[in-house]
Amino acid sequence: MAVDGKNDSLTYTNPAMDLMARLPGVDIFTSTVDRLLTWGSSNSLWMFPMATSCCGIEFMASATARVDIDRMGTIVRGSPRQGDVMVVAGTITVKMAPRVKKLWDQMPEPKWCVAMGSCAISGDFYRDIYSVIPGIDTVVPVDIYVPGCPPNPEQLMAGLMRLQEKMRAQQRGEWTEPEIRPETEKMNTQPDIRRLLDDERDEGISQAQYDGSCSLGMHGNEHRRHDQVGNPVGVDREQGVEALILRAQAHAQAMEALRQEAAQEFAAAQAAKEAKAKAAAEAKAAAAAKAAAEAEAAAADDDASVAGDAADEAPAGDGETP
Amino acid sequence: MSLSIQPYSAEQPVNPYLDVDLYDPDADLMVLNLGPQHPSTHGVFRVKLILDGEVIVKAIGYPGYLHRGVEKLCEKLNYSNIKAIIDKNDYISPMINEQAVNMAFEKLAGVEVPRRALWLRSLLAEFQRIASHLIALGTFGLDVGGALGGGASAFMYCFRDREMILDVFEELSGCRFHYNTHCVGGNRHDVPAGWDRMVLPALEVIEARLDELVDMMVNNQVFVDRTQGVGVIPKNLALGLGLTGPNGRASGIDCDLRRDAPYNAYGEVEVRPAVRSAGDCQARFLCRVDEIRESARLARLFLAGLPEGPISGTKPNKGPTSVKIKEGRCYVGLSTPRGELGTYLIAGGNKGLSPYRLKIRPPSLHHLASIPYILPGNNLSDAIAILGSLDPVMGEADR
Repeated sequence: MAVDGKNDSLTYTNPAMDLMARLPGVDIFTSTVDRLLTWGSSNSLWMFPMATSCCGIEFMASATARVDIDRMGTIVRGSPRQGDVMVVAGTITVKMAPRVKKLWDQMPEPKWCVAMGSCAISGDFYRDIYSVIPGIDTVVPVDIYVPGCPPNPEQLMAGLMRLQEKMRAQQRGEWTEPEIRPETEKMNTQPDIRRLLDDERDEGISQAQYDGSCSLGMHGNEHRRHDQVGNPVGVDREQGVEALILRAQAHAQAMEALRQEAAQEFAAAQAAKEAKAKAAAEAKAAAAAKAAAEAEAAAADDDASVAGDAADEAPAGDGETP
Repeated sequence: MSLSIQPYSAEQPVNPYLDVDLYDPDADLMVLNLGPQHPSTHGVFRVKLILDGEVIVKAIGYPGYLHRGVEKLCEKLNYSNIKAIIDKNDYISPMINEQAVNMAFEKLAGVEVPRRALWLRSLLAEFQRIASHLIALGTFGLDVGGALGGGASAFMYCFRDREMILDVFEELSGCRFHYNTHCVGGNRHDVPAGWDRMVLPALEVIEARLDELVDMMVNNQVFVDRTQGVGVIPKNLALGLGLTGPNGRASGIDCDLRRDAPYNAYGEVEVRPAVRSAGDCQARFLCRVDEIRESARLARLFLAGLPEGPISGTKPNKGPTSVKIKEGRCYVGLSTPRGELGTYLIAGGNKGLSPYRLKIRPPSLHHLASIPYILPGNNLSDAIAILGSLDPVMGEADR
């Protein structure tokens, strides 16, 4: 499972198949079995409903006689242990989000997540409210977005068929375009919460992006940030982008100044280090020279003493053995 | 040594603040969390049950898993935008919820509503009542019968019938859900041509199939055993907790705002609300069944007597109109499928464009308040039946 920023792509993995693939000479067998398993699991997507509000009613309607989503093999199961697809239908609040995460963690692999309705996708009306999570993809990775308020049962069915197509394409080894959150598609400058909270991400750029989006009216008092055709309402988009660019430029300048300062400090430190090393080397050389001189002197003394021994052996021998 | 807990009765009421340590000093009780993600709690509602064996000793309800700050949000929205939000409060009967705030706005703005719009609103409200009660009956069957037992049939039948009502609404307003068809001063969508040819057969089919449903449920001994005498709410307790709607009327409170404080066109017809005295799960079920029949009768009356004329007081408005209310405060009570929905509006926020305060009195919250009283003394399996028979909607309880 790979989670990459705002574009979550969930790669289909099967632990048993991974284990078998490590054995030699079973490639042909595993690819056939993998195709069989994908055929089976894509035609029996058991849904685990995380139905909190209005979308839950349409979810129920999609499971009943008119649409009868059961004919796709998607049976609704009340337990996370028996579910393949978690359908998040409805507003997720701050109080509910830890429960959603816990239930998602309880589901066995392979698993998928469908965000059904505007509230689950982005928070919609309630986005600016203190108690609402702005989109379930800030909590669990989402594979399929089904927009609508609430979506018709047919739309949910279409979303599940997109999921089936995705699974089959991934089994064939084809590249599948990750779904983009519908609102993000409209407003590309919108900051992603996870990226804003990322420790490794540069703080200045995050702040600049956040400010730019503020001037676009995303976090202000504007209840509707865009009208039905996608134009922002009551905000000056050009001004927002300009502010974003200015902030980014100022930040780049500040970073450049910091970098130069750091380079100067580094150069000074390098010079000091070199000077110190030079002094140490000189001192070492001087010590070595002194040692050599002493050794020479000692050798001269030894020669003298040897000569002396030869001259008067008896007094020296008396001296060494008192 | 432990005391025995009996279900709530007028002679021996249940103490909802029971000290568990005093009840069982050995602390040999089991704590079970029902919800917040449980298909039988009808939304995200958590009940903490303290069990002695299989018998519930104490029940504590924890709402708030769907708190969306609606009342606070309304303080910064224009009046025309608020209806779209209130739709999502009680998401099983959005058509009546938007009528409630709309009536409050009209009352304060002093706008005259044409007679045709009033009749059309009443007609739509009765349709919505049928659809809402069908969901209540179907999910109650699912709760009592189990997902793979006989109850699933009732669920399927009810939702099949409800789709016909949704088709009627879709024909009128273009939406299956969250219609936003009411405006200050009238309605946005007039009745399309040939609408009655669609409506009248739907009513006939629903009424005919309702008999089948009642036959299937009430003549089933398993259903009777699980609902008769279970979760009894005596009249005094119901009065004290403020139960309204079918839940209150099943306990013998003969009160319906459609008859006692008529609004829209209800003053011009005779409304006969269904009242029962047993106060148990079966009485609540049967109250809803009778209300569907009554609503179908009223809907036929309203459709036959729909007066000619404009549906909007001002010019025909296709989009939301802006209203300005400088000052004033009012309370509007409305009979939704769940009970009395109160809207208390204080105008004057944002230069008269938004309310200063909008307080909503949700009936579901009052129904959920009965849980600490009526769950103790029952078996764990009965808790599911009782919760289902109360038919709460967490969207309006948590707001």
